[in-house]
Amino acid sequence: MPCAALPRFPMHDWAQMVRERLANLALDDDDAAQVFDELTGHLEQDYRSLLSEGCSEEEAVRRALAGAGDWQVLQRKIEASRKKEPSMPKLVAQFWFPAFVTLLLSMVCLALIQIFGPNPWLTPVTHGWRFVAPVLLVYFPWLFTLPFIGALGAYISNRAGGRARVVFSATIFPILPYTVFFIIGLPIAMIFDDHVARNLTLPMFFVGLCAWVIFPAAALLAGGVPAHYFSGRLDARTTSNG
Amino acid sequence: MIGTGIKKGTAELAILSVLEDGPLHGYELSRRIEAQTNGSLSFSLAALYPMLYRMEQRRWIRGTWETSSNGRRRRCYRLTPQGKKKLQPLRAEWSELFHALRRLTKVSNA
Repeated sequence: MPCAALPRFPMHDWAQMVRERLANLALDDDDAAQVFDELTGHLEQDYRSLLSEGCSEEEAVRRALAGAGDWQVLQRKIEASRKKEPSMPKLVAQFWFPAFVTLLLSMVCLALIQIFGPNPWLTPVTHGWRFVAPVLLVYFPWLFTLPFIGALGAYISNRAGGRARVVFSATIFPILPYTVFFIIGLPIAMIFDDHVARNLTLPMFFVGLCAWVIFPAAALLAGGVPAHYFSGRLDARTTSNG
Repeated sequence: MIGTGIKKGTAELAILSVLEDGPLHGYELSRRIEAQTNGSLSFSLAALYPMLYRMEQRRWIRGTWETSSNGRRRRCYRLTPQGKKKLQPLRAEWSELFHALRRLTKVSNA
């Protein structure tokens, strides 16, 4: 389209022109500044290009600005396009989500082993190995699944950017119900139930604590610690290559 | 002249295809598309940047600030691995559409 002479545009401060036209742009300062810079650069280049095609200064300015169309529409479009898609809050992504994944998986594994695993005969003994063997047949397979579950939890938390403390807290989250039981539930039960108080001995308490809190935590961390450091190293290598 | 609806649909394909050849900043990108399609496809500033920002949000392209030799800051866009992955099915879809339209309308060399 040939350029016709039009009324003179008073100034060619493109940055100012863009800022004035997008004055109500609802973005944070940094984001808005980037948009202003980018559009300013585009308009300036368009203007220079139009000048080199033989347009007068006024016409080049007018046509460059007209390229944006309705500035209110452009403003709405930019706001919509730069709106961040809702993402999981940081604490949820780094802790709660992996924590509940590990908790759920550990519970599901225990239930599946109980349903589909070894089905020992129960014998009428109250002490010794023959008493605990049926329990161990269920317990040990479950304990062996925990490093894998811990590794998964650590990986998820690590991917979300969790620091070591958060990653390991999420990793050992499945022991929380048992910890609560041993630290709060059992003492309360001893207060209100004579039967529990009479039958629970200190060695039994520590055996239970080791079996359901300390060993599972160690098993979860046995998977979680290498997963955390390995995935951290992998990420660093990917970043340096990318 | 190609209608607005089809232009909208082809915009993503056009941007990804042009960026496949190398990184470009917004203005160059719009000029390149216009030149390569003999003016059939052209992006106004109002159409281009919201589209680029949306594609960047989807991680198909990545914009980085660069300073040119004359000291001007420009945002340069390049295709990401996700963008490359997206380009293949997009091309296939549009190719299929063109073939279907050609058969339907019996237009040769469409």
